[in-house]
Amino acid sequence: MKTQLKIALFLIFTNGLMLLLFGGSIYYFLYNYSYADFYKRLETRATIAAKYNFDADKINAESFKIIRKEHLEKLLAEKEYLYKVEDSNDLTGIAQKSELPLVFLKDIMANGKMTRQVDETFFTGIRHESHGSIYIVVVSAKNYYASNHLLFMRNVILMGIVFIALITTYLSFFFSKRIFDPIKHITDRVKQISTDNIHLRIEEKDNDAEISQLISTFNDLLNRLETAFETQKNFVSNASHEFGTPLTSIMGEAEVMLMKQRSPEEYQQSLVSILGQAERLNQITQTLLYLAETGYTNKRVNFVILRTDDLLWQAKEMIDKLNPKNHIQVDFSLLPENPKKLKVMGNRQLLSLAFTNILTNACKYSNNKPVLVTIASSDEHVFLAITDQGIGIPESELPFIFDPFFRASNTSHFEGYGIGLPLTRNIIKIHGGQLQISSKVNEGTTVQIKLPLAKIP
Amino acid sequence: MEKTILVPIDFKVESLNALRLALNTIHAGKVNVVLMYAKYPTDSITEFLFYSPDDVVDSLKTREFDEAIAIIKNRYESLLNRIDIELFYGFGTSALSNFLEAHRVDTVYFSKNYSLSCSKKGFDPIPMLKKTGIGYEEVGGELVQEFVPRPTTLSTLFNYFGLEIANH
Repeated sequence: MKTQLKIALFLIFTNGLMLLLFGGSIYYFLYNYSYADFYKRLETRATIAAKYNFDADKINAESFKIIRKEHLEKLLAEKEYLYKVEDSNDLTGIAQKSELPLVFLKDIMANGKMTRQVDETFFTGIRHESHGSIYIVVVSAKNYYASNHLLFMRNVILMGIVFIALITTYLSFFFSKRIFDPIKHITDRVKQISTDNIHLRIEEKDNDAEISQLISTFNDLLNRLETAFETQKNFVSNASHEFGTPLTSIMGEAEVMLMKQRSPEEYQQSLVSILGQAERLNQITQTLLYLAETGYTNKRVNFVILRTDDLLWQAKEMIDKLNPKNHIQVDFSLLPENPKKLKVMGNRQLLSLAFTNILTNACKYSNNKPVLVTIASSDEHVFLAITDQGIGIPESELPFIFDPFFRASNTSHFEGYGIGLPLTRNIIKIHGGQLQISSKVNEGTTVQIKLPLAKIP
Repeated sequence: MEKTILVPIDFKVESLNALRLALNTIHAGKVNVVLMYAKYPTDSITEFLFYSPDDVVDSLKTREFDEAIAIIKNRYESLLNRIDIELFYGFGTSALSNFLEAHRVDTVYFSKNYSLSCSKKGFDPIPMLKKTGIGYEEVGGELVQEFVPRPTTLSTLFNYFGLEIANH
């Protein structure tokens, strides 16, 4: 069953149930009340009848009768029964005379008063004591109110229920349709989007908070998907380019050499150059393998407790050896006092590879301008910020910097393959950390590494 | 010797620079820090009805801000006693004086080269603080040029401090 129909049916059912409860309870309580009320009225009449028949003197009795006639309306088929009871045997006689059942009379004698209903006629009897004798007074009448007014009200309530039920049904279907219309719209729109036209987006609405949230979530997902698709496309072209360049130069070198007879020195020279290109190819393949290995999250690497400042120094020493002209400054002014707050769980080789990568990049793309490394830690994370004053990354290219073989458009003067950053990101990811890069062209780049602290008791 | 200092903040990481620079000038003793955010009281009666200072602070502060406070706490662990975030509501200098007295503030610190940028309903309490006659110190050197400003990330803290160090 469709959710839309489900909601509509649920609304109809609950509303109908409430309506029935409401109407039913009104009818039920009024019905009960009308009976109790009618018996009360009969009782009043019986009391008055007893009073003027047995208690009062003649003159008073007349005035009682007049007052009663003036103020109490005559009920439908009203009848009075007045009997004097000398002893309990009289009851049988009274019962025969009045056609009232003996049990009813006995109950009146026992309880003081009693009520009874035969078809539409109602009886109320009371026991009256006056001047030392006991009387039974019974008044009977038909309940016009119950038979007519209640019937009329029942019809009104029933009609009301049917009418409101119709309106509720219509509104339920209307609302469930209205609620699901935008969702249906989204479904239709998303259906249109395939791998060929992944640039399509769902237009956002401002007036509907939940729906626009859903739409923007969808659009975000599509954005990421689109980037991923592009990455895949770029990867193949970039990889073939990276592999192609050394291969072309190897082939060219070899072809030139084979054109004619060469001296052994020339062969040697060209073989050295071929070897250099082959080494470059090998290096790319090695790094790619590394990248692929670190990309599998299910492969567990050996983790030990490491100090981040220690790792940082190690990376700095390494770079000092490779590139003595670097200007890396380490800022310890935010270093926590407690060395525990610097310890992370990690793999020494991988983390130091990551740090070295970031620091090398910072030195390389800023032509050895000062690079500032700040280390700080909060209660849960260690932060490393590496700030350079280099060429920066164009803002439009920031989403792609973690794609293998991607190189920003302003890096053509610098050597590199574009594998370092994705590798670093993978390493940080394995350690449960985050890598944030913010950059401005020609001003510099800041890389912020956030690693979770080791939980040391 | 225990000492209480007050630093006005705007719940941005940059505003904590003043705290850091202030703590650099204090070398011994224990320091209680009151981070004060000045705010105009709300006009809405329902907001007053369900008013809770913790909720207001929670809605204003970001995760970066929390992390930055944690960084400073770790850095000055031996110096710091506690860091509290307090809200100040009010218009007059006398109200502010009462606030300072209630929190037993000894000195107020604020940055020379950062002006608080408060959101709606918030205001910059520095001119008012100066009027209360409490001892205040302005920290920070000459205006350094903002470098790669990314106001929402923690790196601003590093950058800012880093350059400060580099300039010395």
